[in-house]
Amino acid sequence: MSSSFSLKDHRAYAAEHDLMFLAGSPVVYHCHHFNLFLDQTIDDALGSKDGQALRISAAHEFARDLLERAVTRVRADTPAERVQVAQQLFKAMGHGALSAQLQASGGTARGSFTHYGFTWKEKYGAIVRRRFGADAVAAGFLAAATEVAYDLAPGSILARETNCIALKHDHCDFVIEPAATPAAFGAIVGPEEHRSVAQPPVAGLFEDKIAAIAAGLRDFTAGVAGDERGLVQAFGVFVTMHMAGYYNRISYDAARAVEARAPALVGDVEELLRESGHVCVFNTFGGIMLSPEWDGMVGAPGEDPTDVIIGCVAIARALGFGHWYVHEYEPRKRLVVRASSTYESGYYNTRHGRSTRPREYFLQGAVLAFMQLAHRVQWQKKPALTQPFYDSLFKGEIPCKMEQSKSLQCGDAFSEIVVSSKG
Amino acid sequence: MTIEEKLRSVFTETPSLRGVFVTAMPDCLLFTHWQRDNETWVAEEAAAYFGDLVRANREGLRALSSWSSDMQVTIESRDVLLVIREINADFVVACAFERSAALGMVRMYVRRVLSVLEELLPKIEQKQLPRAVRILEFLDRYAPDSHAVRHRVALRTGITYDALQSSAAQLSASQVEALESAVCDILGLDRIEV
Repeated sequence: MSSSFSLKDHRAYAAEHDLMFLAGSPVVYHCHHFNLFLDQTIDDALGSKDGQALRISAAHEFARDLLERAVTRVRADTPAERVQVAQQLFKAMGHGALSAQLQASGGTARGSFTHYGFTWKEKYGAIVRRRFGADAVAAGFLAAATEVAYDLAPGSILARETNCIALKHDHCDFVIEPAATPAAFGAIVGPEEHRSVAQPPVAGLFEDKIAAIAAGLRDFTAGVAGDERGLVQAFGVFVTMHMAGYYNRISYDAARAVEARAPALVGDVEELLRESGHVCVFNTFGGIMLSPEWDGMVGAPGEDPTDVIIGCVAIARALGFGHWYVHEYEPRKRLVVRASSTYESGYYNTRHGRSTRPREYFLQGAVLAFMQLAHRVQWQKKPALTQPFYDSLFKGEIPCKMEQSKSLQCGDAFSEIVVSSKG
Repeated sequence: MTIEEKLRSVFTETPSLRGVFVTAMPDCLLFTHWQRDNETWVAEEAAAYFGDLVRANREGLRALSSWSSDMQVTIESRDVLLVIREINADFVVACAFERSAALGMVRMYVRRVLSVLEELLPKIEQKQLPRAVRILEFLDRYAPDSHAVRHRVALRTGITYDALQSSAAQLSASQVEALESAVCDILGLDRIEV
């Protein structure tokens, strides 16, 4: 086995689709604001107990796919080597540090600086008292690591968090044990499945600039990995490289569960899923464009809102969200973003078939937020990306309306978001 | 002369006094206020918290069997010295002083402010807002991500967003119970004092 698992060596983009893979498993970058808000939405939709169960199961399922591919890549043959790869991978991806004692029959693990628990405490700990652990992703990852280390059947192991930093414990603790009833996982959603839904890429407006910035950002992020804590602290946020399938499964399973249980509430869960797109763009995209690195690479955003739109689309590509491009743009009035590939559509169509209506919630929320950042932020003043500032942009009446008019999920040749001024 | 004009005429001359906020109870709504022209405080935002603070303090003192109606809360922060006190069952008053003001002088000025306000403030007929409305106002004050919190409540309770926005006063008893439970879950509280 090679001595350590390097993200840089195993990260790859499907170049024409701007989708990202780690050891061949679909991944994207997202920050802690997005991660926490999305997890919270799942628990709101399903209740805390079922929400947590879904989140653990989704992490388990997609970590299993990732780890199987990773241990094959580095030829990790023994259980000890495979557990080591799992711990290295978890830390390098920015999810924190795990110390696991695992056997085929289960075991225990201790987490320090786990991404979800630590950042929940950082963001919400002084405001809200949490009642249950925050690290479903770590629990699912540990279940998958045990199965992969000992060549156990998928879904045969369960893990749960017994102590959590978010509950004011010093560490996170996990118990890993055989599942009474093996979990059933869905169809694989790998590179081929994503490619089968993606369409040939199209060059939109400002293509040369967008492509150049995206390429520069990809080079920059190639060297990004967890620090000694296992966290990636950059651009004013905590970043993770995360399993795209995790985000997709929890979002779509929760939305579909609400649709089946209480159709009148579908609008609420969809609104919150879109909201996570606003949260992501405001914090991560905003943080990147205000960073010294961006200043050095692209130049600080000036008065021209077009620069912000170009920057946002380039960032989306570099983070692995898909081949988004600008189809139309009239400052302050109208923005049309299309995508010939998205990380949401490849998953949805593989797991659920063609949709009768667009459901790319993240794309919807993100593109609406592009217009907010382009026209309502005074970039020259280098504003702090605080919650009150966020509220001033997204709370109450937003001066734009958003519509998704086309979707790869519906069999269209591209996904299309139209944002237009209400005025 | 309006009550605000009277407050201005009386309090402007009080040394070290930066502002006075009167909160109507039990709904924790701003009733009236005065602050010096150079202050940028948003009175409506502050007033509700002063009401909640007195209410929480009252419950805490009751738990210690040492509650009395004339209790007051003194807060010494970096920039301000704040004294919060119930005038009567209807009103809570918060007096904000310069941080450098001597505590003895502050107590004397607070007594003066209170005596002025006792004369000026009306006896109001108790018209309590419906419990569901008070719970939602409490949630709006304390929820993280407050811009999205009513969608969260809708999902957790099954009460539609429109009903929460426009007809919370008409919610049934069982809906109010579900609302309270959801708000406790969101805020991590065992119960809500409203």
